[in-house]
Amino acid sequence: MGAFVRILASVKTALEMRTLVNSEPQVEASVAAPTLIEPSAAQIQVPIARVTHRAELLSSFARELEAIGGVFAGSVSPGELPTRSVAIADQLGALIIAVGEGVTHDLLPIANLLEQHHRDLILFGAAGDDEARRAALARIARADLGIVEAHCAIAASGTVAVVASPARPNALTLMPPAVLVIVPADRIFPDLASAIEQLGPDLIAGRRTVFITGPSRTADIEKRIVIGVHGPRNLHVLALWPTDV
Amino acid sequence: MAVSSSNPGFFAAIETSIADTELRRKLANASGHHLESAASTRAEFPRYDEEREAARSLKTAAIGRLDELLIELRTRLEGNGCHVFFADDAAAARRYIVDLARVRKLKRAVKGKSMTTEEIELNPALEKAGVEVVETDLGEYIVQLRHEPPSHILTPAIHLSKEDVGQLFHDRFGTAYTNEPERLTAVARDNLRAAFLSADLGITGVNFAIAETGTLVLVENEGNGRFSSTLPDTLVAVMGIEKVIARLSDLSHFLEVLARAGTGQKITTYTNFITRPRSHDELDGPREIHVVILDNGRSRILADPVLREALNCLRCGACLNVCPVYRSIGGHAYGYPYQGPIGSIISPALFGKAAGHLPFASTLCGACREICPVKIDIPKLLLHLRWKENQNNLQWPRGAAKARRGAARFGRMANHPRTIRALSRIAVLIMRPFAHEGYVKWMPGPFRNWTLTRDFPVPKAPLKHRSADQPQSN
Repeated sequence: MGAFVRILASVKTALEMRTLVNSEPQVEASVAAPTLIEPSAAQIQVPIARVTHRAELLSSFARELEAIGGVFAGSVSPGELPTRSVAIADQLGALIIAVGEGVTHDLLPIANLLEQHHRDLILFGAAGDDEARRAALARIARADLGIVEAHCAIAASGTVAVVASPARPNALTLMPPAVLVIVPADRIFPDLASAIEQLGPDLIAGRRTVFITGPSRTADIEKRIVIGVHGPRNLHVLALWPTDV
Repeated sequence: MAVSSSNPGFFAAIETSIADTELRRKLANASGHHLESAASTRAEFPRYDEEREAARSLKTAAIGRLDELLIELRTRLEGNGCHVFFADDAAAARRYIVDLARVRKLKRAVKGKSMTTEEIELNPALEKAGVEVVETDLGEYIVQLRHEPPSHILTPAIHLSKEDVGQLFHDRFGTAYTNEPERLTAVARDNLRAAFLSADLGITGVNFAIAETGTLVLVENEGNGRFSSTLPDTLVAVMGIEKVIARLSDLSHFLEVLARAGTGQKITTYTNFITRPRSHDELDGPREIHVVILDNGRSRILADPVLREALNCLRCGACLNVCPVYRSIGGHAYGYPYQGPIGSIISPALFGKAAGHLPFASTLCGACREICPVKIDIPKLLLHLRWKENQNNLQWPRGAAKARRGAARFGRMANHPRTIRALSRIAVLIMRPFAHEGYVKWMPGPFRNWTLTRDFPVPKAPLKHRSADQPQSN
């Protein structure tokens, strides 16, 4: 490609200009060489933090989430998860509910209980042809609530990281007016750097990934913050506290 | 304005903006308490300065080996199944995107917020080719409806009041007039949701392109970039060559400072990682991703070892918010899509000589340098550009030679205490008769020029005598 070669050549020539200045410190040398994270198949297996530390991270996460307009819906054991989820759906008045597949926990019990409560359920199997695909998207567009499990969360900013999969489409946390995100308490990391490191390049670059921090918002009219522009205006997060600790 | 290349249009625009007291009220209104809350977000983050330093050195290092990183990025992107197009200039980028739309018969485009597409003036080109383009960032949507360019790189409609937007929506959509941002946003949400669902082309910018993985990172608050890169079957992402960073693990250092500087958030609502087209088993995401990587003058910036630092810019918008010039004249007066201090540096390189006057539109107060999340020394770069402009375009104004001779003569006199004392006494005697209410506002003949642009306080005593009374300070 002509332009690629041309641009590279001009970039190279331009970079050689650096030898002309002595005043400019050579910054490269001072940069701490970022270490390459060795991707491993077991990325999802993370060292379990001490329980007290975990509680601190959880409370920090909850505080930050609420500060940016999200709702921390408390922490539950896996056994309590379905009933609490249904209670949140009731509270939101959600009738049509899309449930994505779980990551470390099975979310089917939630779906089953919702069905018993006569909710209109959207579940995801293998994507069919283009028409089926469009129909599925149109159904998500009509959903009142999307439920997903996050891969991890960030305590310092109240962020949840959601990695898409065939049965956990990106649109699930984007199109419905409300989203319920389930976060295992042992997957709340202190900050952005540790969360990115734990997820690692294979996961983040494997499927569509999004870090979500609070409900969709804008400040484009006189810098007044308005919640719920294109994405959900309600973001609820339930922490899953494993029973084995 | 002595040595700036003359630009009557710019001065006219400044005059108009300054006379617009309503505009100044809006600008002040939009930045007042907002700046304070942003400052407190930074103050609450003990690592902020460390992260700034890290971001600065990582970006400088990336720019320092831009050639290698561009090769790596291209290889990764193509390996992930993306199409990569390198564009020398705006015209080449436009042509590629318009041709793509033509070949794929794309008719309806939704755009996430992207300054680079403003830079290449993509919308008119697509519209000419029969593609309907809808801006989906709320601020961009508002200015598009008004057929106006954005006036701020981050908050494009900052020059408008909620009443302006209310009137606009009422006129355009026939909805009941309201000036409540919540209700106006709801109207836009409904309109734009329909646009997202029917679009066949999504267009976005790119905040960071990770060479290591070939991942495009897009940060935003509304979801416009997420929608544009999730629903339409074709995605075109437009980025400057300087957006490439080396590794995924570098990213956190940039994200920790970007939103804190720009909007005062800890992190934006959405950080999107886009790596590959959707696979056969996925429900959403674009089937095709085209990444347009644009030079358009950036290698010229790179070739200037002083100016190179400007390529570190993350486009956070913070320098606009704190700039006394921007806050007085607003974004439109600059005349280019990148406004404010950083715009005055990059516009001359991207848009050529016609923007050569912009580096002079600064008081060099340094607020931009203080706030910049990657510590770009903006005043230094502005001075450098002024110097270059004067080298290239040396047009000393009329009388400059005379002024220089005069200054030299004054210098010689000032070395003789008795002469200078005598002359200052004479100067006081000459000025006194023209004093009125404490000021000398007008003087005749050769002194007229001194009083044209400012009023002189009535001299009390010759300068030399007064300075003797001041406490000695060294």
